Amino acid sequence: MPDALLEKLCAAVGSPNVLTGIELSPYVVEGRTPEAAVFPASVEEVAAVIALAAEAGMPVTPWGGGTAASVGLPAARSGLVLGLRRLGRLLDHEPGDLTATVEAGMTIAAFQAVLRGRGQWMSLDPADADRATVGGVLATNAYGPRRHLYGTARDLLIGVTVVTADGAVVKGGGKVVKNVAGYDLPKLFIGSYGTLGVIVEATVKLRPLPDQEELVGVRFDCLKDAGAAVRSIMASDLIPNAIELLDASATTGAGVAGSARGVGTTPGGGPSASPAPTATLVVGFDGVREQVDWQRAELARLMGPLGAHDVQSLEARVWPRLATAARAAVPLTAAVMVFAVLPSQVAETMEQGAGMARARGLHAAWAAHAGVGVVRAALAADAVPKKPAAIAAVLAEWREMARAGGGHATLEWAPLSVKSQIPVWDDPGAAGRIMERIKAQLDPRNILNRGRFVAGI
Amino acid sequence: MATLSDSRKRELRRELESIVGPGAVLSDADELMVYESDGLTLFRALADFVVFPTSVDHVSAIVKLANRESLPFVARGAGTGLSGGCLPAEGGIVLSLMRMNRVLEVDYDNQIVVVEPGLVNLHLSWKVGPRGYYYAPDPSSQQACTIGGNIANNSGGPHTLKYGVTTNHVLGLEVVMPDGEIVWLGGKTRETCGYDLAGVFVGSEGTFGIATKIVVRILKKPQAVKTVLAVFDAIDRASAAVSAIIARGLVPAAMEMIDHLTIQAVEDAFNCGYPRDADAALLIELDGLAVGMEVQAERIVEACREAGAREIRTAKTEAERQLLWKGRKSAFGAYGRVSPAYMVMDGVIPRTKLPYVLGRVNEIVAASGLRVGNVFHAGDGNLHPNILYDPRKPGEEARVVAAGAEIMKVCADVGGSISGEHGIGLEKADFMPFIFSVADLSLMQRLKNAFNPRGLCNPGKVFPTKKSCVEVGPVAYRPHAIEEKGLAQRF
Repeated sequence: MPDALLEKLCAAVGSPNVLTGIELSPYVVEGRTPEAAVFPASVEEVAAVIALAAEAGMPVTPWGGGTAASVGLPAARSGLVLGLRRLGRLLDHEPGDLTATVEAGMTIAAFQAVLRGRGQWMSLDPADADRATVGGVLATNAYGPRRHLYGTARDLLIGVTVVTADGAVVKGGGKVVKNVAGYDLPKLFIGSYGTLGVIVEATVKLRPLPDQEELVGVRFDCLKDAGAAVRSIMASDLIPNAIELLDASATTGAGVAGSARGVGTTPGGGPSASPAPTATLVVGFDGVREQVDWQRAELARLMGPLGAHDVQSLEARVWPRLATAARAAVPLTAAVMVFAVLPSQVAETMEQGAGMARARGLHAAWAAHAGVGVVRAALAADAVPKKPAAIAAVLAEWREMARAGGGHATLEWAPLSVKSQIPVWDDPGAAGRIMERIKAQLDPRNILNRGRFVAGI
Repeated sequence: MATLSDSRKRELRRELESIVGPGAVLSDADELMVYESDGLTLFRALADFVVFPTSVDHVSAIVKLANRESLPFVARGAGTGLSGGCLPAEGGIVLSLMRMNRVLEVDYDNQIVVVEPGLVNLHLSWKVGPRGYYYAPDPSSQQACTIGGNIANNSGGPHTLKYGVTTNHVLGLEVVMPDGEIVWLGGKTRETCGYDLAGVFVGSEGTFGIATKIVVRILKKPQAVKTVLAVFDAIDRASAAVSAIIARGLVPAAMEMIDHLTIQAVEDAFNCGYPRDADAALLIELDGLAVGMEVQAERIVEACREAGAREIRTAKTEAERQLLWKGRKSAFGAYGRVSPAYMVMDGVIPRTKLPYVLGRVNEIVAASGLRVGNVFHAGDGNLHPNILYDPRKPGEEARVVAAGAEIMKVCADVGGSISGEHGIGLEKADFMPFIFSVADLSLMQRLKNAFNPRGLCNPGKVFPTKKSCVEVGPVAYRPHAIEEKGLAQRF
């Protein structure tokens, strides 16, 4: 870091908000230490910092809560960490409009807490809500089990303010719930991993809090039966807000076993070294009391003939664990892969994928947002560490399996030694060239999150 | 742009015919006139050719030919658009996609359908209806408009309040890029790899390429539907009821406002049973599970009463429900009873600003010496003021256009938008600075450059030009062909 740049950064945001040296340890990713971390307190300060970095050709790594900091390839040079934690204010909430505008650095939990106090919520429930920030969740397109009914950030984000790679402050969308003026810039920035601009403010659609919410667990002998049950729910009149399919390990990981309310706790679901031949379907319902009660009963009626064992209400504490069920099931994780497949292929993907790992002497925990076809697998590291090549070989087989069914797979987490043997991102095909052109148009000097994303972007 | 010589035109016609076959190319002035405007007849422009491709390879070959000749080109569906978005530049090629109208694949297990762009919106719901499914986005022109056109405009409709607009239902697209390359953006799975290009493409008004296959989600039909008409003696109270319902934690499937002038026109024309003396009515629809519907309906009724509704009716039968909806959906046709012509506006405001903005709309139109009827998606804050006028009276049309601009300014000033569902097209290109800065527009331009670097694909749309729209138009109003046939309305 040139002294001149450091001085200018200190002048822009104040010295106490520029970290260097040993203070940078929380921002070390894959052993790579940034040259400084700066924490601007306003949109203008973010713009000033990026303009300074651009001028100096210094790469910039945007940083929210750091919950996805290790996703993607680490930049060869991490440059400047741009922390958004001081942009943490709720700017506007008009309950009658069901919209809110928030700064990017506010955590999801803090945002939801304010909204909940006013009878509303943002219908997005990603993992690590205490640390994950609104900006980070948008940039990584994170979501949780309720996406089954409520969709993802692309269904909620109606306006976004970003600072682009040249330090300009740009707005896309607006503050109204329906808007087709100009190109849909919010869609462009969702899931762009900070490679096109730094999200500094967001306006989202809200929903009223439902009167009631309930989570129901249904146990099956095998994934195949549970998969058939998912299809039957999808074809029914039920309107679940979540349909999660968990294998035996993930059932434990989500704490489903032992959380059944009332009598007849699920037997045999305690922690075990080897996966038991069971699967759990976890289904969520919300609405007015009559709706929730009717749906729970209707679910039990539907599941009966399909080989379900017990249909039990689960404690509310299971909700936040569902998004992390796979990784929590594995004490020492070797890799986490996320698959996008057709909903009808979910159970088969889980079963086949587990078989592939087993054939190489490895164990994995599997959990899926079954109704939308998103499957997550956490590969367990053995007591005797496997060579990265062996891990990468399973991951490559898994990806091939997803691609064969028309889907794709992202390596959500793995150590660098594994990432160097298998691409983190799947191949976007011919669309990759358009993505490269967009990156070249918006960040021609390649300042933002250099080399971290799809197609080498 | 150089005009094509007659001999060059003949050569190109032959070449286009060699791509799409005889009988699929128009180049006579009389025939081209049918394609000189869309549902907004204010703007007109003649193409050199209108071509009817039937496959993605046809589309790609036509686009490559256009590139070779540096001819502008634009895709067109049913032509029901309301912003001039599918008009050709003067000259060039119009690709009519009306012959690419097949449903290619229906996958009920995964609730997805693959269609061609020329498929009529409503025909998709007809196709999957017998199995208990439907396609949610329901623009008022759904009997005529195409899914491809809906993609270009990110179309909405009355039920988007609960179910979202077109973009919320599109998973993937096969696109012929502006250079003729065939590319898939997104696909059949719910997650995409890399940037959300399908999301960026939807609503790009035909400037990013031409969609030739579209993967959309279909939804299960709701178990039950309940439709309520709340009648008010003051439109402000109806507006207050909209916010009160939202604030009570209710999100109806649709919440439509019909004002006094519109009620009278509708009753004159169709006798739908709306009280003629009412200042405004709210048509509210709930859908979902049969169980719990009553509880929610009671909350709606309570909110309306507290806001000052003088009467609340619930449709007891499907026939009663259809009659209430007819009042809403036939409003456009009904304006014909009270005025020789009207122009529909499209703006969006925060719901809580409804009383103020409706007041301003009335003031602005009254100051122009004109009348306005309001019938719109109140739940979304999506206004549709319809300014009534007589095109035979000199100067009236110009006053309508000026009032429209002023109304857009009001929408922008309260933090709203200049279009909720009709698009920017030609009509509102010069209003873009009302809501976007130079930096905002520059980023949009760079995004366009990534897709459409030569600018041949639907030029002159979305971005402000030096020319103001008043210089381009307006010309005398006339009904669109499909409007004359009673096939579609304007919102």
